[in-house]
Amino acid sequence: MKLKKLTSVLLASAMLLTSLAGCGSKAADVATTDGGNTATQTTEAAASDGTMVIEIYDEAANYQGIQEGWFAKVVKDRFDIELNIIAPQVAGEAIYQTRTSTGNLGDIVLLDSVHLADCVKNGLVKDISGDLANYSNLAAYTEQISYYNSGLEGNNGEIYGIPTEMMNTSPTSYSQDVIYSSPLLRWDLYKELGCPEMKDLNDLIDVLAQMQAAHPTNEAGDPVYAMSLWPDWDGNDNMIGIANVVQLTTWYGEKIKGSAILNSDGATFSKITDKDKSYYKILQFLNHAYKAGIVDPDSGTQDWNAACAKMSAGQVNLMWYSWQVGFWNSQDRLDDGTAFIYIPVADQNYYTEADAYFGSGRAFGIGSGVDEAKYKKILEFLDWYASPEGCTFQHAGIEGFNYEVNADGTYTAINTNALMDNLPVPEEYGGAGYSDGNNAINQWIVGSSSINPVNGESYAKDYWSSWKESTLTEMKKEWQSQFGADEPAEYMKKNNKLVISPNVAVSLASDTPDMELARTECNKALCDNSWKMIFAKDDAEFDAMWDAMVETMNGVGYEELYAFDCEKYQVEVDAKNSYK
Amino acid sequence: MKKMNRKKKRGLREFLYVLPFIIMVALFCYYPLYGWRYAFYDYKPPYPLSSDSFVGTKWFSYMVSNPIRRKQILQVLLNTFGISGLNMIFSWFPMMFAIFLNEIKCKPYQKFVQTVTTIPNFISWVLVYSIAYCVFNSTGVVNTVLQNLGLTDTPVMFLQSSDHIWFKMWLWNTWKNAGWAAIMYIAAITGIDEELIDAAKVDGANRWKTILHITIPTILPTFFVLQFLNMANFLSNGMEQFFVFENSFNTDTIQVLDLYVYNLAMKSGGYSLSVAIGILKSLVSVVLLCIMNTISKLTRGEGFI
Repeated sequence: MKLKKLTSVLLASAMLLTSLAGCGSKAADVATTDGGNTATQTTEAAASDGTMVIEIYDEAANYQGIQEGWFAKVVKDRFDIELNIIAPQVAGEAIYQTRTSTGNLGDIVLLDSVHLADCVKNGLVKDISGDLANYSNLAAYTEQISYYNSGLEGNNGEIYGIPTEMMNTSPTSYSQDVIYSSPLLRWDLYKELGCPEMKDLNDLIDVLAQMQAAHPTNEAGDPVYAMSLWPDWDGNDNMIGIANVVQLTTWYGEKIKGSAILNSDGATFSKITDKDKSYYKILQFLNHAYKAGIVDPDSGTQDWNAACAKMSAGQVNLMWYSWQVGFWNSQDRLDDGTAFIYIPVADQNYYTEADAYFGSGRAFGIGSGVDEAKYKKILEFLDWYASPEGCTFQHAGIEGFNYEVNADGTYTAINTNALMDNLPVPEEYGGAGYSDGNNAINQWIVGSSSINPVNGESYAKDYWSSWKESTLTEMKKEWQSQFGADEPAEYMKKNNKLVISPNVAVSLASDTPDMELARTECNKALCDNSWKMIFAKDDAEFDAMWDAMVETMNGVGYEELYAFDCEKYQVEVDAKNSYK
Repeated sequence: MKKMNRKKKRGLREFLYVLPFIIMVALFCYYPLYGWRYAFYDYKPPYPLSSDSFVGTKWFSYMVSNPIRRKQILQVLLNTFGISGLNMIFSWFPMMFAIFLNEIKCKPYQKFVQTVTTIPNFISWVLVYSIAYCVFNSTGVVNTVLQNLGLTDTPVMFLQSSDHIWFKMWLWNTWKNAGWAAIMYIAAITGIDEELIDAAKVDGANRWKTILHITIPTILPTFFVLQFLNMANFLSNGMEQFFVFENSFNTDTIQVLDLYVYNLAMKSGGYSLSVAIGILKSLVSVVLLCIMNTISKLTRGEGFI
């Protein structure tokens, strides 16, 4: 009898404990806020050999978990730390909300400017102004760092964020060879038509239609379309509307900022719902293209992966992102002239951001919960991260595996397919696949086209003299003689087709709950109707849909949102114009 | 006195038995209700709730604050009622399916049909959509067959059209759930007394008459209880199915309440408004449940809660 009683009491208490185990995380949080030391000890204990684990809350990462492979070894050898990456792009945006509400976002945080400003206001990020001067590689960017932080509301000289992708050129120069978005066509197909001159978007549609008529299927027999769009990215990057359309508006010197269009004068705004502006123009271009039968009918329902597969299989004839060509342009295709390259359309002038002298907008910060030892370690790590050695690892890879050093100190790339094919890395450099072990933080303090003081060339291989020499193919030579310039960006500069917008990094106002909601609803109305308009039967239907859309958008608060965004981005525009 | 003590002790012990469950229910069902307070604030993480951000019933009136919003919320409600209603109207389908399944005399074939129809229940909606995309896209099986047969020149955009979308959604839902929903009825049918059926046969009833006069009347109570319970969930038709099938072309007719809340809250920060809608939804569901319970009491003489 007694035994029975004992068992029942034990069982009951066991169940009680199990049910309470669910609240475990809560208890841990309390420990974090009450005494930072207890929490740190537990995290440190997590690494088996006493290695310090640094948690990085990283809005740029596409990988979540402990950094592995060769980059993990590089970091461990130098600092005896492991990087634990927390990626909202993997875990979902809600992780930001939950982590901020517990008061500890991460040991290192990498945030966009709006989130950073919110976190600073709520005391989640540490002020590092007292220590910055002691770290020479970071201190080299003092001008940019203080400029960025002075934009934070109510700042009196504190330093919270270290901007990313900073360059050591100037805020108004443009040193890349290709711009982010421009019409890219297959050189062989274009040459086959006799390199016709294109005056405007209608001519572009004609050329694309002729290409498609000449080659209706790819080698596997699947249908080819001039363009295959995808809806997954709609409304991303603080720009409302269909992502593909939004990107093409830069072909006419305009740039979408939130819900407003920054005009090509770089000083005034227009509404995205304005019929004379580029959003309408591009949408109409896509509708005309659809009516010409050159838009993939699956565009509105397929996802990014399906679109990607079509690009790799040669089922599209027009690309518009500079990185998009990576799905097709292999060295073989560059050699035999079947690769994509920029083809000018006469009436276009392209908007592009100047060199990211002040950074790309995101910034690194240090969590306010770290203890003294960890704080020092993190600063050492970030300082190295911005050093020539750190930058070379990030942008060029491992010496002896990704590049060799020439007699004059410049580099020559080897194993150039390391990232694409995930080549195995020798054990001495850390093992595993190259791509698997690549730096998962996925954002740098120093931009890749910055100059490496060690040899006077850029960090990224694309601008090395050895690389340029090896990539000068027959196709490139033909292109150069056709358009009379060495590189696309040079052609644009020569012909006055480039609207370079000075690079600035300012802190922008964060949305109020009302504005946030209006933004979501306007974006949804705009995207849904835009997709329908691309597939509209005729111009009358197209315009009727546009008018109905504008009415809906106004009903869910577009006017207020536009006014809010004009004010919000005026700060940035003023900063840009101060450089003109 | 001693007896009293023992009784008390037993009571205490039994209370301890249920205590874990009480705690769990309190923790996971009642504690979250505390989150309802977010509906009365302008909430935006990481800013904590404060008296400055208290806005009263702003988010409740927001939903009906102008004609466009009223139109939107009405359309959403219409979709919700349409799709739930369609499911309700066809709710006899799994029951009939179970009855006919039971009539199959060849056991291996019966088991085979039952397994095949039950399996889709375990496939997630995301995968169902991948299958749908492969079958119905412009170069999918269906379009290829149609084009090869010369029935159409241009591919038919099945997934892109909003025609009969409620019915299509019901079809997908039935394909996925019918087998699973039939299990309950199959269990009820197995519980029927064999003697009843034998007696009916002796009286000259054929198979059809046995179904009509014995099987259906016996499992009807099960059917009603399930219907009443479903009634309480009238406003929640889940969001996964509609989320995966939603695209810009059919969003007007496919966006149900749950999906609307998701689109508002998770795609960006309309947390407070979503909580407000959630509260209204819960209240309406509770009222519906009570009404159904009363109806049940009046018609069947017993309630189900």
